[in-house]
Amino acid sequence: MIYDVRLQTTYDYSAPVATARHLLRMAPINRPGQRVLQANIVIKPEPSLRREDRDFFGNAVTRVSFDTPHNELDIVMTARVEVLAEAPLDPEQTAPWERVRDIAFSGSDMSSEAPAHFLFPSRLVPRVPALRMYAAESFTPGRPILAAALDLTRRIWTDFTYDTEATTIDTPPEEVFALKRGVCQDFTHLMITGLRGLGIPAAYVSGFLRTMPPPGQERLEGADATHAWVAVWCGREIGWRGLDPTNGIMVGQDHIVLAIGRDYADVSPVDGVVVTAGDHVLDVAVDVVPAGTPISGKKPDKKKLAVSA
Amino acid sequence: MSFPSDLFAPTDSGRFAGLIDRYRSIPGVHDEMLDENGQVRPAWVGFLEELTKRGPGELARRFGSADRYLRESGVFYRVYDDTAGDERPWPLSHVPLIVSSDDWRELSEGLIERAEFLDAVLGDIYGPGQLVANGALPAAAVTGSPEFFRPLVGVKPNTGHLSFYAADIGRGPDGKWWVLDDRTQAPSGAGYALENRLAMVRALPEVYDALNVERLAGFFQGFRAWLSSRSSGGDSNVCVLTPGPLNETYFEHAYLARYLGFLLVEGADLTVRDDEVLIRTVAGLKRANVLWRRVDADFTDPLELNTHSHLGVPGLVGAVRAGSVSLVNALGSGLVEARALLGFMHGMAHRLLGRDLKLAHVATWWCGQHLEREVVLENLDHLVIAPAYGSSVPGILDSGPILASDLSPTVRAMLADEIRARGADFVAQEVVKLSTTPVWSKGQLEPRPFILRVFLSKVEGRWQVMPGGFCRLGDRTDARAVTMQRGGLTADVCVVSDAPVAATSLLPRPEAVAIRRSTGSLPSRAADNLFWLGRYTERAEATLRLLRALGGQFTGAEDLDGDAPRALVGLLTSWGALPEEPLRMTPAFLAASALYRRDLPGSLFSVASAARNAASVIRDRFSPDAWRAVSDLAALFDEPGEAAAREAEAFDRVEQGIRILASFAGYAQENMNQLLGWRFLKIGRRLERGLNTCRFARQFGVSEAASASGLDLMLALADSQITYRSRYVMVASKAPAIDLVLSDEHNPRSVAFQVSRIAEHVNELPGRSAEGLLSRAEKLVARTVTDLRTMDPEAIDEAFIYRIETALMAISDEIAGRYFTHRDRLDIRNEVPS
Repeated sequence: MIYDVRLQTTYDYSAPVATARHLLRMAPINRPGQRVLQANIVIKPEPSLRREDRDFFGNAVTRVSFDTPHNELDIVMTARVEVLAEAPLDPEQTAPWERVRDIAFSGSDMSSEAPAHFLFPSRLVPRVPALRMYAAESFTPGRPILAAALDLTRRIWTDFTYDTEATTIDTPPEEVFALKRGVCQDFTHLMITGLRGLGIPAAYVSGFLRTMPPPGQERLEGADATHAWVAVWCGREIGWRGLDPTNGIMVGQDHIVLAIGRDYADVSPVDGVVVTAGDHVLDVAVDVVPAGTPISGKKPDKKKLAVSA
Repeated sequence: MSFPSDLFAPTDSGRFAGLIDRYRSIPGVHDEMLDENGQVRPAWVGFLEELTKRGPGELARRFGSADRYLRESGVFYRVYDDTAGDERPWPLSHVPLIVSSDDWRELSEGLIERAEFLDAVLGDIYGPGQLVANGALPAAAVTGSPEFFRPLVGVKPNTGHLSFYAADIGRGPDGKWWVLDDRTQAPSGAGYALENRLAMVRALPEVYDALNVERLAGFFQGFRAWLSSRSSGGDSNVCVLTPGPLNETYFEHAYLARYLGFLLVEGADLTVRDDEVLIRTVAGLKRANVLWRRVDADFTDPLELNTHSHLGVPGLVGAVRAGSVSLVNALGSGLVEARALLGFMHGMAHRLLGRDLKLAHVATWWCGQHLEREVVLENLDHLVIAPAYGSSVPGILDSGPILASDLSPTVRAMLADEIRARGADFVAQEVVKLSTTPVWSKGQLEPRPFILRVFLSKVEGRWQVMPGGFCRLGDRTDARAVTMQRGGLTADVCVVSDAPVAATSLLPRPEAVAIRRSTGSLPSRAADNLFWLGRYTERAEATLRLLRALGGQFTGAEDLDGDAPRALVGLLTSWGALPEEPLRMTPAFLAASALYRRDLPGSLFSVASAARNAASVIRDRFSPDAWRAVSDLAALFDEPGEAAAREAEAFDRVEQGIRILASFAGYAQENMNQLLGWRFLKIGRRLERGLNTCRFARQFGVSEAASASGLDLMLALADSQITYRSRYVMVASKAPAIDLVLSDEHNPRSVAFQVSRIAEHVNELPGRSAEGLLSRAEKLVARTVTDLRTMDPEAIDEAFIYRIETALMAISDEIAGRYFTHRDRLDIRNEVPS
């Protein structure tokens, strides 16, 4: 399946920004199961410095700085990405989760995909015993890792309500757990917290969902913005598998990977420090359509997110 | 010690009667002073002899002088969790830890080897990664550490990872030193060690001379020379990067920066352009090549590391990657502080050095491995359980290492479950028994367990060890390392020879120090704070003078109009020093309000606190005396006492405050280098004084109702009565009084005097164009000088004074805009992924 993806992010500043530096993680890269046919980022105004790089986890990073005053920053990423069909895998035929855990902790692999990087608490994934207990209900002794993880994915989808008003970007997993509400980022962090609590390598994946479902299928939650889901390491042979707790499913051909990290802090599409006396209003628009379908380019009438300094 | 001649030597308890009579070392514990037979160890004999020569009274006096020295130097530490953020006095034990030079030499060799080894471990983990690939170290033992910074993987720092290393060591029952903890990120304590030494030398100068104690200065000079040599611009481009005055060891940052002649900077003082680190100074951007980092790595770059940090410099990691700046220690060097790695030191040493390390460390088992975990669980009751990385494991080891046997059965079972579930978060360590060293207590020596922090630094091509260190004593006699409480006493550490040696120091003479007159660049933030310190202290003085005048109103000592008190109260109210509608109008009540009210922005409490805050961030630029004056001033209005006492004492405090401010002005004038920073302080002070004097003159000198008594009051507020009387010998009349207070350039309190001094200072500030054209500030000042000079005193009216006042405010704004940084930072936020 080939998609055309367009991600537009606009920062509207209430006062001129004197200088700014940004780190963008906006372009998809080739990965197992995904081929990037074309990707391009256009930035307005023209940065005074722009450098393309890869971060530790292999994600594409664009570093830009601005040293002239500006009132708006507009970043448009367009890409054409082919999502390959993966060989079907029976979750019941995967290794017992305890064995996967022990292999992960004793490994000698330090490469960017190594499970060792995804075993410990990270900035947005704290150590929460209550979440380990919640996850443990799916991880009965000897249960195959993917079967247990898929069970947890479905439980989160059942037990939690999708609600864009309940949480903010800073709501910690423990609080989401108490609220039983949130959005993809919340469910993803919550599931990772539980998995790592049990010693299972779990990564945060940011990416896209196709905007409109194929005829006859239901529209998935999370298609209006960048989406997030979990990748679980299932042992050396199988490696990483995607699970989407927001939709209660295994990741398939509707998911396009943008970046992978330990949590959202590792993959945030735009980080930056700007010097200004004012605030900003952020606007994000995402379009994911089968290749060749025209992209409207029109920003959907979205709620604007105002953030104070 | 077994020669027969010893039999005839007097017993130690006889020789040192009274000192060690009741000194009992703890059974099974090594004591530094007494050997297992109760005999004084050779290294201590000289010191005890010196103590014996001086009676208890003399000693108490001497020790008191050490404490006084520390207090007067402003040595303090701050307790982070303390909501009041109090600075605590420094707790010095008056008995140094004495170590023989033989003992020290062996220890030093072991520590140097360890420093080189840890540097090599860091180089491998952030570089080729052979230790993990070859199985000497499990990947998870590295990746579990919050100090493993992935953005730094593959980056080779130009000064190596480790340049300044400290080891916390203890001595076991067998007399051997053990490493308890490695400090590789930004070890603190070297400056405190130096202060402890200075305080003790102050107390017992002849004793330190007689004992041939190795000096510490050479270590710092060596490190300083090495850092400077790493910097292409010499030492003026070396900065000490501090998190700021709220940090618990800020005193040390400021102290070391001052001692070594480096620039003390906070993250906001620096900026990165084109991958180069630049210092924002009053003369523009200056290059920084070397940062001695006292900020934890995670907080140093909000762009690439912790995006919530406000202590860092956006883009610093990029500059490190480009190799344009050296960080000491390198970002990520804190990784080898993790206890998890202690479990693999043996294997790594064999891999890297081909042998065991000379110096042992506390036996440690990382519970992330199946076999080790099972053994630990079986022997839980005999072990210390500690966080594998960092200082806590939330929810189970919240306050760090614990003895499993100290736990209740329920908690112990919980801990065992946690270790079973996530062993990688824990290590088990053997229970270390520390040795004891004497403290002075009630005229006697008593043993206390201690941990010694020893410091090492790179010098050209090798490592050097500070011949001394920072000794922390337990306040109980429990010698188990894990039970050591923080916040106990600290002691100086003396390395002495136990054999007779030449009277000169064993240390090589410090190399000749080049004469330097400038302390380099002035960061904009420091200039800003100096300027405001000048303004606040002057504002405090003006407010105090108003209160003094208010006190004079009601005593009947001076003959004044009834309007004057009301005018004074009005002025104080408009300054925010009094509330709009005071409850009572008695002078003592009003004075107490203006002194102590915390809710009033112009009260002495508020103004003096603001002065103190401004001064606290520029401690490196002050003499301790000047700092103490500011600190005393804030303290004076911080503890009002009971309501009754508050009023009774109010006017006493006014006088005390005026005296403290006079001493501050004296220190600033006489003891501060008259460089750029001093000029900003003076400009602030002169501007504020000019503004206040204008206000006094408008209120009491030129208004319709200006009376003789009003003029007298104006002269009093401007401290110009005596000059006036010596000139005119008559009751005040308007034109001469106004001339004296406004136009007379010879009167140090007049507005004209302030402006002409400001002109001198402003002319010395950087900022003229290359062609020598006047800066905007210079022009504004020159115009005001001329206005005051050319105005006929008889013609001075309220409008004219108001114009001068406005000009002074414009000068203040111009200086602030031109020389100070105003950084409004906004962190970019993202959409919430959905």
